[in-house]
Amino acid sequence: MKSVVLATVFLTCVVFASAQLQCAQKKPNIPTDWIDMASPCVKKMRGQIQEELKASMQYLAMGAYFSRDTVNRPGFAKMFFQSASEERDHAIKLISYLLMRGELTRDISHMIKKNLVVPKTEWATGVEALKDALNLEATVTKKIRDVIKTCEDPKDSSNFNDYHLVDYLTGDFLEEQYHGQKEIASKISNLDKLMDKHGALGEFLFDKKISGGE
Amino acid sequence: MRAFLIFTVFLAAASAEHCYKEIEKACDPTSNKADSTPINCNAKYGAIDGVQSALQKYVNDHIERSFEYLLMSTHYANYEKSREGFEKLFRGFSDSKWNTAIDLIKYITKRGGQMRFPEIDSEISSNEDYEMYELQSLAKSLDIEKTLAVEAHNIHGLAARRRNEFHDPEISSFIEEKFVHKQADDIRALSGHVADLTKLLDGRDSSLSLYLFDEYLQKL
Repeated sequence: MKSVVLATVFLTCVVFASAQLQCAQKKPNIPTDWIDMASPCVKKMRGQIQEELKASMQYLAMGAYFSRDTVNRPGFAKMFFQSASEERDHAIKLISYLLMRGELTRDISHMIKKNLVVPKTEWATGVEALKDALNLEATVTKKIRDVIKTCEDPKDSSNFNDYHLVDYLTGDFLEEQYHGQKEIASKISNLDKLMDKHGALGEFLFDKKISGGE
Repeated sequence: MRAFLIFTVFLAAASAEHCYKEIEKACDPTSNKADSTPINCNAKYGAIDGVQSALQKYVNDHIERSFEYLLMSTHYANYEKSREGFEKLFRGFSDSKWNTAIDLIKYITKRGGQMRFPEIDSEISSNEDYEMYELQSLAKSLDIEKTLAVEAHNIHGLAARRRNEFHDPEISSFIEEKFVHKQADDIRALSGHVADLTKLLDGRDSSLSLYLFDEYLQKL
């Protein structure tokens, strides 16, 4: 009798064990002294991820507009689609950096807004779109400088100057911003001069030129 | 009845030469520039107008999914989770959704359509959680892929209807070629992962199983 009871108990345990999958695992016990980013700086960095994605969506809308059949500016479209993917890559680079520093272990489900509203979807001319692009880049540059400022002097109890991140943002992100801005400004200059007397022809030729990746 | 037939034939002929007629008028030195701008010289034909809004929604869904997958991959890349295989799997899905969205926008404009982006600023609804256990995230991914595949079927269904305003073999063929087969592959691969991991986790200690399964995903 005793053995029957034991067998039943044993069987129940087996049934229980097989019904429940071991999805969860024990939380690892890892020292945290190496995680040294100041929280105001982390907050700014998280915000910047959203900013880069916003810029990416704006470029996507520009690409979509210049692809239209009746607009037909494949060179502009190609350039703006490329910029959209580049901005998305920047967001991913920022995420990777935070992960490398031991951040983003929690509360990431709401880090990205899913439907990012695009403020503008039509442009009268290529020059107008390029000018918007230059302003957009200038805004992003300013926001990166803000992140740098906060991460250099977070103004909290830690007083932690994040040399490595500041260097990364300056050497990598700002470097790319300033080069990119100059490039857009030069494009505006060339196209704007052409548009003065040869509007339609100027934009047509310019579009073919940039579609060749020049 | 005969008059009606003649009228129909005339209409059909007229619509076939819309652009030419407009251009003729625009080139006519006596016509007024304001009311002779051609409006029918576009790439539109077939059923793009009937299918366009479904395609636009499909683009926006791909963008949303690409952000969701980015969050899922981010979660597996943190030092506590440290699952490079899962990170790689979901990052791959995020990239492919993003690139597909761009390709779809190009396709809509190829057919003379326009892209419309969402106009309401909505955050990921508060009950959405992208910080999941490994098996849960595979299950979630399988559901996402199936939803997108069914949406592709619906667009295909729209374009395959035998009514003029919807029938468009070019669109249905595009959907078949670019979406449905790849979706079937992805869904099959994911369901295989779920089946494997479900078996592997049905034991006393899952930690080694998860470690090895993650290594397997890294090599895919």
